[in-house]
Amino acid sequence: MRESVAKDVLRAFLATLAAVLVYSVAGGAGPALLVVLNAFSVVVLYFSVRRGEVFGALLGTMCGLVQDTFSLGVFGVAGLTKTLLGFWTGYISRRIDVAPFARNALFMLVMSVLEMALWVLITAVVRQGSVNWHGGLVLLQPLVTAVLGSSLFALERRIRARSSRGA
Amino acid sequence: MPIREKRRSALVLAGLTAFHVLLISIQVPRGAEKSLFERSVFFLFSPVQRAVSGGVRGVESLWNGYIDLRGVRSENQKLKKDIFFLNQDLRFLEDRLRFFRSEAQLRENLADFRGTIVPARVIGVDSANPNQSIVIDKGRLDGVGKDMAVCDRFGYLVGRTIEPVSLKETMVQLITDKDSSVSVVSAVDRLTGSMTGRSDPVCELRYVLASVTGGRPGEELLTTGYDKIYPPGIRVGRIQSLEKDEASPIFRRILAAPYFRFNTIDVVAVLTERPGGGG
Repeated sequence: MRESVAKDVLRAFLATLAAVLVYSVAGGAGPALLVVLNAFSVVVLYFSVRRGEVFGALLGTMCGLVQDTFSLGVFGVAGLTKTLLGFWTGYISRRIDVAPFARNALFMLVMSVLEMALWVLITAVVRQGSVNWHGGLVLLQPLVTAVLGSSLFALERRIRARSSRGA
Repeated sequence: MPIREKRRSALVLAGLTAFHVLLISIQVPRGAEKSLFERSVFFLFSPVQRAVSGGVRGVESLWNGYIDLRGVRSENQKLKKDIFFLNQDLRFLEDRLRFFRSEAQLRENLADFRGTIVPARVIGVDSANPNQSIVIDKGRLDGVGKDMAVCDRFGYLVGRTIEPVSLKETMVQLITDKDSSVSVVSAVDRLTGSMTGRSDPVCELRYVLASVTGGRPGEELLTTGYDKIYPPGIRVGRIQSLEKDEASPIFRRILAAPYFRFNTIDVVAVLTERPGGGG
């Protein structure tokens, strides 16, 4: 049990590093890209579906806090929203079949929209007036997150199918 | 799912949620120093950002310097032409400056100024709102500390350094951030106020009394140095619009557009000398 928790923490740490990597590359490409692409959310969604609610919550905490570190917002807001995102994504995906591409994309879209709504709500409460909609561009974020997340699963399935055919 | 496992999941969620709520509640109202925990996370992950940024720059430089050389000749000719005109401008400006000061004095001032600039690369943009902050690749080891003015390559004010400042990385609060405030004066009518961000590309010029006349759209805004953070005379932006403030009849509602643009802040200059000589 202790070993599996330690392994999960290590995996969560590595996944967070992957998120920082994607975030840095996206930031280098242009600030507008960061408005529509939240690399941390994509990583949390992907790994939560794969590894369940406890891992999702842990990874959400790590990714969220790292995202908060690279922002001037209140430290912990993204941490809280991503913890809840990771937990509930992992929990629900264990109960319904989210394997088909369309269902997977829809599920991720719903979870991303909920995460964004929660983030806006908490930010509006703890730091009034700091929610910036970037002319509505930010509303594309859940859609981009869902497309990227479900594409990752589709890509993974294709690679697995090809390697099993090869074997 | 067995009951034991369910209970474990619920406990993990409750524990993490309580941790975050506690973390948020100790920071509200905002304004306290960055916690040791937040600084540690920044210290741990900012080198990754730096490494990625360096890697991307390396690939870019390889591509631009060795592979994609189309148009270099015409660009070279254009740059030569630009240098010619810039040299003319420089000569003209130096002549004008000599009119006011002796050459020795001028050289002394320029030498002082050069020693207090630390050039830095931008390696990250705020993860929640790009108009709030950036991360640069210079830190304590380069002489960068808290509350130092940061300008873009054209000398326009970008913001100031804030905590966390790690060994090789520093966070910069942009002048467009909601909590940023810069004491400015307009170049022609000498309207003095505080230029405050709104976490979007436009700022507000606050605390200009409704009884004060003057000021027009397009008028340039310069730092006053009264805030003891930004040296006086740095160009910040220009007035965009002036109108009556319906919400507060005491002050005027003035919107200002900062000069700096995200596409010109890949390289910035940190002014390590503060107004009044503090470094």
